[in-house]
Amino acid sequence: MAGGGCVTLRGAQIRDLLDSKHDVLFDCDGVIWNGETAVTGAPEVVSLLKQRGKRVFFVTNNCTRPRENYVQKFSRLGFTDVAEEEIFSSAYCSAAYLRDVARLQGKVYVIGCGGVMKELRDAGVPVAEEEDAEPGASIYTCPLDPDVKAVLVGYDENFTFMKLAKACCYLRSPECLFLATDPDPWHPLTGGRVTPGSGSLTAALETASSRKATVIGKPSRFMFECISSQFGLDPARSLMIGDRLETDVLFGSNCGLTTVLTLTGVSTLQEALAYRDSQEPQQKHCAPDYVMESVADFLQALEE
Amino acid sequence: MAASKCNVTRLTEALSRQLLDSVDSVLFDCDGVIWRGDQAIPGASEVINSLKKNGKRVFFVTNNSTKTRQMYADKLGKLGFDASADEVFGTAYCSAVYLKNVCKLDGKVYLIGSNAMRQELEDVGIRPVGVGPDPISGGQKDWANVPLDNEVRAVLVGFDEHFSYMKLNRALQYLCYPDCQFVGTNTDTRLPLEGGKAVPGTGCLLKAVETAAQRQAQVVGKPSSFMFECVASQFGLDPERCLMVGDRLDTDIMLGSNCGLKTLLTLTGVSTVAEAEANQKSECPQRQKMVPDYYIESIADILPALQA
Repeated sequence: MAGGGCVTLRGAQIRDLLDSKHDVLFDCDGVIWNGETAVTGAPEVVSLLKQRGKRVFFVTNNCTRPRENYVQKFSRLGFTDVAEEEIFSSAYCSAAYLRDVARLQGKVYVIGCGGVMKELRDAGVPVAEEEDAEPGASIYTCPLDPDVKAVLVGYDENFTFMKLAKACCYLRSPECLFLATDPDPWHPLTGGRVTPGSGSLTAALETASSRKATVIGKPSRFMFECISSQFGLDPARSLMIGDRLETDVLFGSNCGLTTVLTLTGVSTLQEALAYRDSQEPQQKHCAPDYVMESVADFLQALEE
Repeated sequence: MAASKCNVTRLTEALSRQLLDSVDSVLFDCDGVIWRGDQAIPGASEVINSLKKNGKRVFFVTNNSTKTRQMYADKLGKLGFDASADEVFGTAYCSAVYLKNVCKLDGKVYLIGSNAMRQELEDVGIRPVGVGPDPISGGQKDWANVPLDNEVRAVLVGFDEHFSYMKLNRALQYLCYPDCQFVGTNTDTRLPLEGGKAVPGTGCLLKAVETAAQRQAQVVGKPSSFMFECVASQFGLDPERCLMVGDRLDTDIMLGSNCGLKTLLTLTGVSTVAEAEANQKSECPQRQKMVPDYYIESIADILPALQA
């Protein structure tokens, strides 16, 4: 779908849409939950979709948790029977990329948090150990590991100048891969506050190295290809539901999926319409096919 | 402004004399022009001292934000250059002047930068907060709710080897207020080569903050004309009688073009003649600004013309 019409979904349209799709992909933050609170009706929607024979997947750029933590969060927030295999985070997909697509021979130098490290370890991808800073260590004399063949950058609350300098040194070798978990410049927290995202750290490293990172997360297609390689998805029969136009909707558009914007998160109807009416093709791809207030709007169609 | 030429012109001895007669003031970039790291370029101090003896005024214009004017004067002195602090215009000093005179800052500044920057700000009567290490603690909710100093009215980003996620976060929280001003010292992506290794520069840190905040900083350093205006306003310079000498086409030479100065590229630093010629041949107006009037292997090559 090359840029949608932002049609507000109502009544029978919702049922018709669901009937035409076999697989439903949900973004998490701002769609099925906000922080530690489930969006009202979201757990029931997920359950009912599965009861109606649909497959449900969760596609999130949030790389801070390993999948097993997500399973716990789903359970805690009242979503019953969500399995680990249905959860695709940018951390999990970055590890999968390194192992299956890049077939990395060597180690990866990681600027990232615990969630990313765990997924890499679970996938069997060797991670360069972060040595404790020696007393005389400076940004001019950082020790490098000769086995490093890739750099992966994601959200990292322990980000320092030293890490940036080290990553930059590794990236001077053109054979060293350069990956980023996701492009999000900031993440929303409850109460309308924000915190810096992976995108801001990636921007620093791209500027330092004069190289562009291969981005795993939405809107890049890779997460969809990752799910498809395991579950065999047909784009024409898949639905993408998200709250962020520049990541979720663009992702759906890039992969040929029908897209739905819910208004329980970051983007507004106004922004969606602006993209729809834009002259630039890239901007048009950020316009969703459909808009709904909340995923709870699916309930009436599902309960019939 | 560079006139249309077939090739970028090499500065011969004859042309040197002509050029020097046509200017009263010479502005020098530092890294890659008069020194490399802590080593003076051979002959550079003789050139500067000779220029002064010949009645020319000499200034030093650098994007490096890690030293105060006095620290630069000390380094210049140690390396044999006859120079005083008021002839030095580094971005630590110029950012302080910019915040004071252009932003008309009334309040504090959240500073991602060095002690040198803090010093220069205090010297113009602006109070900075935030300098030094700032390690993370607590969780995501704590970061979004980090206590803000409600007297802060601007965020200033310069080179900071203590840069961390926490600092990035604090800057973001302040910049969520639209009337908080946003200034950066410079956009250089690497520090000058010291000991053979290129280290990430201020440009990277600034890009991180700009990306998180989805805002563009006002940039003080070259090629922004503010650096020249700063010198010119204090010393009453006539652009047509000024020469800018630098090693980078995208900062030094661009500054010269932007301000109507004559420009001279030296080959002891970053840029090459091939790059200059490629810019000259290009159709792009921006690239045309990165063509020097003349080039020279090293500024030491001006010496014969000065001593004649």
